[in-house]
Amino acid sequence: MTDAGNTKKPLIRYLSDDQVEQIHAGSLDLLEKTGIEVDHEGGLQALADAGAHVDFTSKRARIPRELVFQGLETVPDRFTLAARNPDKDCPLVPGGRPYSRNGGGADFTIDLETGEFRPLLHADVKDYFKLMDALDGISFIAPVFGQDMPVIGRDILMLREAFAHTDKPIHLRAFTGESLKYMFEMAAIVAGGKDALKARPIVSLLEAPISPLKFLDVTVDALWLCGEYGIPLDVCVMPIAGGTGPMTMAGNVQLLNTEFLAGVVISQLANPGAPLQYAPRPMAMDMRTGFSLAGSVELGVMAAVGAQMAHFYNVPVSLHGPWSDSMTHDGQSVLERTYMALMAALAGANVLVGAGMMQQSLVISHEQLVIDDEVNRIAFRAVEGFEIDEERLAWDAIDRVGPGGNFVEEMHTLKFLRGERYKPSLLYRDSREAWEAAGSKTMLDRAKEKAISILEEHQPNPLPVDTSQELDRLVALALKSLA
Amino acid sequence: MTENLKQMQDDLYHGRIDEVESATRQALDGGMPAQEILNQGLIAGMDVVGRDFKNGDLFIPEVLMAARAMHAGLEVLRPSLAESGASTLGKVVIGTVAGDLHDIGKNLVSMMLQGAGFEIVDLGTDVSPEQFVEAVRSEGANLVGMSALLTTTMPKMKTTIEALAEAGLGNQVSVLVGGAPVTAAYAKQIGADAYAGDAVGSVDTARQLVGAE
Repeated sequence: MTDAGNTKKPLIRYLSDDQVEQIHAGSLDLLEKTGIEVDHEGGLQALADAGAHVDFTSKRARIPRELVFQGLETVPDRFTLAARNPDKDCPLVPGGRPYSRNGGGADFTIDLETGEFRPLLHADVKDYFKLMDALDGISFIAPVFGQDMPVIGRDILMLREAFAHTDKPIHLRAFTGESLKYMFEMAAIVAGGKDALKARPIVSLLEAPISPLKFLDVTVDALWLCGEYGIPLDVCVMPIAGGTGPMTMAGNVQLLNTEFLAGVVISQLANPGAPLQYAPRPMAMDMRTGFSLAGSVELGVMAAVGAQMAHFYNVPVSLHGPWSDSMTHDGQSVLERTYMALMAALAGANVLVGAGMMQQSLVISHEQLVIDDEVNRIAFRAVEGFEIDEERLAWDAIDRVGPGGNFVEEMHTLKFLRGERYKPSLLYRDSREAWEAAGSKTMLDRAKEKAISILEEHQPNPLPVDTSQELDRLVALALKSLA
Repeated sequence: MTENLKQMQDDLYHGRIDEVESATRQALDGGMPAQEILNQGLIAGMDVVGRDFKNGDLFIPEVLMAARAMHAGLEVLRPSLAESGASTLGKVVIGTVAGDLHDIGKNLVSMMLQGAGFEIVDLGTDVSPEQFVEAVRSEGANLVGMSALLTTTMPKMKTTIEALAEAGLGNQVSVLVGGAPVTAAYAKQIGADAYAGDAVGSVDTARQLVGAE
């Protein structure tokens, strides 16, 4: 044994090298033959100037493969989601360790006190940011929106709350190009200027074409603005198999890969070298109800294939991790999110997305976030592998103990007592007697208690007072201008 | 029931458009009353489709194909039915509300309603209250269907309902709302006549609204 070091990173691989090439070639053909619809005059013009065949009347751009190759040439192979607190940076590197974020955009919650299903409110938004700030298994934070917040500027107010309650990286959602610009200006204030933001982008953005093959004006605006401000972008492609994408898994992956490459072309035209990651979010329409499923096992399979394509293009990849169709934080929820998170991590995802979310991404709950903190950390642990060398293989220890002995008092055991095992925060592992004496609590009970104690005790790292004031001034200005 | 009608039901079940169309024509040419062909052939056929769909034996695309076949037959019968004074279930003006560009759910509802015998005027996405009002007026619709996928665009449903009332169309139309973040409670709160939780449910709800069952 001469190979000291870590074990190999496990990787789920569904496609052969030939099949990867086949999908890639299919996307190149589709972009040339079918093309994309771009609902944005400037975007169409830029594509035309770069050599795409553009029909301005039908807004159709047919993209020659040279443009795709050019985009793939300039797209960086890695970037860092920077945090206000640099200890919480998330460097995204193909083949590197996974990070995670919550699912964004929830509109409803399950009340922590009463268990009642109800609209998510502004007060909840603060609690959720605070809770996620405290949970290590949630690396960065996406917006959730209060239904009692004003419609115009809701995205801006959300970011203001996020800055106040966490020093982790923040993943934005913008409703219009104009509000996005204000949000980038807000990020620049917190980062210490536009150049500082470019060097250490403390916010990132997700933009999704509408499947099949349609790029809205707000999406193109966002791609352009991300380039200008150096903000990392998730090119999120989410065809719904059987609805907005082909019924077959192969066809759905073919379509999403094509949409991703179109996103690369537009992003790299806007700013060659702009950081982005592949965010395949294959969905599946339930052919009985028309609902878009979040937790079916085929989604995990298709997403893993997306990750394989991302590795082929050598870019970071974000997949749905803990996700579920369940109405509440029950057994179905834990089952679906555990296999989704594990499949994503084992497929080589750089980001596991979804913590907290249930029911087609409409609902978030405190208990689910606390449980997903654990699910994510277990997934992180699963792909971390273990160190392997002569000493850890324990040849001498096994020889010393010999047949019939035990390792409890062995020096080797003492030496490696810490660091080999993941320590869960919610899983119960003691005796039934102790469990009954403590009130026979289920994991959900423990999750609720943990959420309550975090909300009572956790103190987020506050913004400097002058930064806070400057942010407030800009927010007031933005709200006035948007109104 | 004649062999012809039985075959028509079977063809309809399997979404064989051409076959249903020609069988309808044959029956009509053979002297069978249009109303009887409609009830015993086409509607009876769709009832089987509906039953199997509810049992989980059929999927949405199969229902849509069957509905298309039914439509082909209905088109053949239409002139005779019009003579005898029969009409469609109703006319639905449908769209995704202003500011919202999501349409897969709305399209599914359109297809299902059309299959059930409603006439559809699809205004597409990002439809303003004024556009809804104008279409209801010019089309003489008796149902309005509105969809929203975002909580930020949901309030436009209320605005549209108010605009319909202001235009004096409140009594003419019933309003049906749906979309992922929309709930029955919200529908009630904004004064909609009904809420549908999914595309399939929208058919039953729409039928109830026009008094078809």
